[in-house]
Formats: sequence, structure tokens, C-alpha cells
Amino acid sequence: MAADTGLALDSGYVAGELVDPLTHAQRLVRLAVGLIGGVAAIVIGLMVLTDANAGYRVVLTVGGLVLLFMALDSAGKLVCGSRFETGLWLSVFWVAIVGLSAAFADFLPISEAKDASATIFDGTPTLKRPDLLSAHPLGTDRQALDVLGGIIYGARVSLQVSVLAVAIGILVGGTIGVVAGFFRGKLDTGVGVFVDSLLAFPPLILLLALASVMDRSPRNMAIALAVLGIPTYIRLARVNTMVFAEREFVLASQAMGSTRRRIIFKELVPNVALPIFSYAFIIIAVLIVAEASLSFLGLGIQRPDPTWGNMIAAGQDDFDRHPHLVFAPGIAMFLTVFALNRVGEKARELWDPRQANL
Amino acid sequence: MLRTIGLKLVRLVPVLIIVSLATSLLIELVPGDPILAIIGMEGEPGDYERIEKELGLDENVVSRYFDWLGSIFQGDFGEQITRPGVKVADRLKQTFPVTIQISLMGMAMALLIAVPLGSWAAYRAGTRFDRVSSGAAFGIISIPSFLAGLLLVFMFVFHASVPRYAVLILGLAWSLWLLWSAVLNRHDQARGMLLRAAAAIVVAGLTVWLANKWPSFPRQGFVRWTSDEGRLENFRSAFLPAVTVALTEIAVFMRLLRGDMQATLQEDFILSARAKGMPPVRILARDALRPSSFSLITLAGVAFGRLIGGTVIVESIFRLPGMGSLIVNDGVNTGDFPVVQGGVLILATFYVVLNGAIDISYSYLDPRLRRGR
Repeated sequence: MAADTGLALDSGYVAGELVDPLTHAQRLVRLAVGLIGGVAAIVIGLMVLTDANAGYRVVLTVGGLVLLFMALDSAGKLVCGSRFETGLWLSVFWVAIVGLSAAFADFLPISEAKDASATIFDGTPTLKRPDLLSAHPLGTDRQALDVLGGIIYGARVSLQVSVLAVAIGILVGGTIGVVAGFFRGKLDTGVGVFVDSLLAFPPLILLLALASVMDRSPRNMAIALAVLGIPTYIRLARVNTMVFAEREFVLASQAMGSTRRRIIFKELVPNVALPIFSYAFIIIAVLIVAEASLSFLGLGIQRPDPTWGNMIAAGQDDFDRHPHLVFAPGIAMFLTVFALNRVGEKARELWDPRQANL
Repeated sequence: MLRTIGLKLVRLVPVLIIVSLATSLLIELVPGDPILAIIGMEGEPGDYERIEKELGLDENVVSRYFDWLGSIFQGDFGEQITRPGVKVADRLKQTFPVTIQISLMGMAMALLIAVPLGSWAAYRAGTRFDRVSSGAAFGIISIPSFLAGLLLVFMFVFHASVPRYAVLILGLAWSLWLLWSAVLNRHDQARGMLLRAAAAIVVAGLTVWLANKWPSFPRQGFVRWTSDEGRLENFRSAFLPAVTVALTEIAVFMRLLRGDMQATLQEDFILSARAKGMPPVRILARDALRPSSFSLITLAGVAFGRLIGGTVIVESIFRLPGMGSLIVNDGVNTGDFPVVQGGVLILATFYVVLNGAIDISYSYLDPRLRRGR
């Protein structure tokens, strides 16, 4: 009858507790089945059935990944207890992989991904299908450029641009927000109007407007994206400053005769910084999407520098015949954004006091 | 109340002024000589003077702003630089309805799908349905809209048989499950059994009908609302773009409503409704939905504004003649500033006014906010 009781009505109910924890033996079985079945399905899907219909191979591989996830989940819970968050750790792992491969892209053994003139004469096939065991694991595009390499260099551009934008946003927005939240009054009203005006432009339209006048280099891109993030940071910093400014330790510091500068730098900024930084992951994810959208429209960073957006845009014309040109960078991008969102949500849960109070 | 509204309206004015100022001065941000940048390599003699005059760059900044604002109040957005003689206002008038239609359809779809799903997830919090739907929502939020659009094109245009068979199989499975639960009949009530059996037949019938009449969706070729081909064609050509913009919003709305609804379901009046023996669907729809929907309504308004700006992507994928593609193709790509300025100004003004209206309606909807400031 549990289905009809309206679980939310039971006052003792806490989200997640209802899920029946499996027994030790059940977990071991899941681990074994998932591991063997998952690896088998992936190997068959990716390497054995190379001539079969692509649809079946995709289904088989995805099924294998689900089984592998089940195995990992069971293993994690066996070792670390039933509160182990498999999805979160996989997300951290993925972000780390993307970050590291972007940082060390120049040292990785990837084929030519940027210079189309280099691939003309060396016999690289164009529009090659993905084959994990070849020199082009994710295939090649129309100019015989390596898709995996493009994804990795694209990750480098995306991460560089959006991390730089978030850094600028935190620095500028955080400063303005703390100052406005601390001094209040007319200054605060002025900042409020400024923030409202920045937020008055729909985000993508603001980017378009900036793209219409800016030279499209990565540095300008970062500045444009920072403009997008600044109002959010001003609001965050302002609210948090106002909350902390009311607290006893600030009063105590005032009573001891601290200067305003000391209060801001020694008492407020360290406290405000944590919740602000905890938003960084989510904002990086948003900015990655924004940057890719702009590149997709052809208004972002241009070829020969590959970005996820311009790779997808280049592949979209006949992607019914060559779907890997769209979906390889697309899936990489989706996983990255998903992982950043997941990590960001956890970070907010841990570090944002307003979130924790709920 | 009037005072509150007045204060909120007054606060819109400086924002609108700054927005128009920023739009009008956009051209000042162009590095170097903007006119040379527009003309590019191949200009004719006289182009320089013409563009300079068209953009008003021969005057100083202040009078240029006021001239520009003045003519806009008279409905004159200037002429396109790249196509002399074509009025920007006419282009805006042609394209704005398309953008609005896609956003409205997307919005309606998002609400129609998200409200039942979110309510049910809250009611069954912690169960498999809740975990699967919340997880799916989290995943969908992470799909950038251009990727979602291309995925839909791939599935519904290039491989239309895949969703068709998926619908057929899932629908028949659902119908079989309903039949099975009717036969099993845990509650031992004749009425419940009959209802389930009837539902099973209806689901099976609908599934077969849908799979049989599966419409083909075009990748491009938008049919206008007012065209002679009829409304049905219009809906068919607008369906995939609308789903694309709706996807993210479905996920966002669902998560929000689930949270609020779960809080509402803890209240005493829900307990009393349950004690009276009301069926769950009635409790959710009649008692719990209204008090749970305040933040949803606010967010829906904000999302509508965001959609209007965000259709740029969808318009590019499906090649719709909307405002976004006007700004991108005719404006940004060719450096046609009157188009960029006009489009951006319209969209931003719409966005500001809409958000102001939501702010005001919010205090109408939620009685707890009416008093005080």
C-alpha cells in the first residue's frame, strides 16, 4: 500500500531514507554482474560488431555503460557505506580528465586537429567513422582533422575562456557586491540599477550585441562572458555581505575599533568568498554553454581553433550521414556540463550557508 | 497596493534608459573607425558619407542618442545599411511574431508536461518514479539547446521510424501493464478493475492511432500562422523548434514545482483533505497546486523572457524567419548596426517590461506579500 499513502505525508520521512538499502550479498552480485556484463557489452558493441548497424552498437554500448555504472555504484557502496555518491565521484573524475587533457593537450599522442593543410598530403582519410582502436578513435571530419583532438583542444578553449571569465566576474562582481552590501545607501541603489540594467538584456542577446562590436579572440570572449556573469556575482556578494555584516563577530570587531577596511578584508571577505566560490562550477558550466552557443552561431572563436560549438556547427549540415561530427563533441560537452553542474550542486550544499539552512 | 505598483514601475524607468543608452552607444565600442569596418574592402564612393549619415555619426554623441530615441518613439528604426531602402521597423514587424509564437508554444508545452510530472514526483517523493524523473530533469538541464535541437532533428527528421516504434512499443507495454494490474486487482473493487481495463484499451487505441498517423516534421521551411496553408501546417513546422525550447524549461519547472509541492504536502490542510478520503489526483490538482505554484509562475515569466532571447539558437537550427536570425544574419554578421540596435532594444524592452509585470502580479497572486512594503 506504500504507493497510495502519499509518502510525503509521513512526517518522519526524510528524502532518500526510504530507499531500501541492499544487503551485502545483493551488492556483490550486482558488482559481479555489472562488471562482467558491462565490459562484455562494451567490448562487443565497440570492437567486435564493427560491421553491424550503428544503432544496435550504440544501444549495446549504452547498456554496457549502465551495467558498469551499477557495478561501480555497488563497489563504492560496499567500500564506503551506502551514502557513497557514485554519480558525484564520476563527475569529479570526468572534470579532472577534461581539465588534465586540456592542460596537457600538447603532450598527448593525438593526430592533427587544427591545421587542415597538414592533413591534405599525408593520406589521412576524410569523414572516417569512429573506431576506438585506430589512430582516430572518434573519427575524422571533412578536412581529415581528428575529432578527438578537436574535442580536447576545444575543451582547452572552453575551459580557458570560461574560467578566465569567472575569475574576472568574481573579482569585479565580488568587489562591487561587497562594497555595495557593506556601505548600503545611495551607492547600493546605484549598483542595483546597474545590475538590473545588465540583467535587462536576455543573456544570449547581450552576447550577440557584444559579438557585433568585438574582435572575436579568446580574450575578448572571456571579457564578454564575464559581463554575463558579473550581475550574478554582484547579487551574491551583496546579499552575503549584508547577512554577515549583521553578525556578532563583525560587531565585536567594530567595538574593538577596527577600521572599515579591516572589517571588510579580515571579517567579511573571507566569509563571503566561500559561498561565492561555491557557485563557480555552475557558472563555469553556464558559460561553457554560452560560449559554445556563440561559436555555434558562427560568432565565437573561429576555425582553425576548434571549439565544441564550431565543431558541432560545422558538422550539422549533413549529420544524418556523419552523426559523429555532431555527437562526439556534443556528448563530450554534455558530460562536462553535467559533471560541472553535479559538482557545483554539491559545492553549494557544502559551502553556501543559505543553502545549508534550508 | 497602488503605491507598490507605482514604485516598481518607477524602478523600470532608469533601467530602460540605461538599456537604450547602452544599445545606442554600442557602436562606440567598435575598435577603430566603425564606418570603415562596415564598408570593408569593397565600398563605393559615397558609401562612407551615406553610412555616416544613416548612423548619425556626423553628430555628437548626445544629440545622436536623442535623435535616435526620438525617431524610435515614432516607430522609425532607420534603414538597413546593407540593403538601402529596407526599413528596419518592417523587418522587426515581420520577425517578431515568429519568435513570439515559438516561445509561447514552448512555454505551453513546458507547463503542460512539467506540472503533472512535478506534482506526481512530489507526491511520490523518494520512490523510483521520483528518482528517475528528478535524475532525468537534472540531465536535461545539462543539454545545451542547440544540441537538443540537433538531437531532435536526428530522431524526428532523419530517423523518424525510431521514435515511432518507440511510441508503439512503450504504449503497448503500458497498456499491457494496465491490463495486468486490472486482472491482478489488488484492491478487489469492481470499479477499479473496470477503470483500469478501460484505460488499457484507450491507451492501446491511442498508441496505434499515433503510430499510424505519425506526422513527418520538416527540418526547415517555416509556414507562417497567417499563411494559406492553414494552421495545422503552421503547428507542424513549429513543433520541433517549440519542443527544443521547451525541453530545458520542462526540467527546470519540474524541479521547482516538485520542491514547492513537497513542502505544501506537509501542511495540515492536505492531511485533512486526505482524512476526508479525497483521491490523490484531486488533492494535488485542487488543494496543493495553487499554494505551490507561486514561484513557478514567477519563474515561468522569467523563462518566457529568456526564451524570447534564446530562440536565436533554435531559429538558426530550423532556419526560422524570427528575430534572432534577423539579428544574427542581417545584423551581427554583416555589421548592420540599425538592425542589431533595433532588435536588441525591442527584446530587452520586452524582457524588462515582462519582468516588471511578473513582479507586480506576484503580489496579487500571493496574499502574504500584499501588505507591508
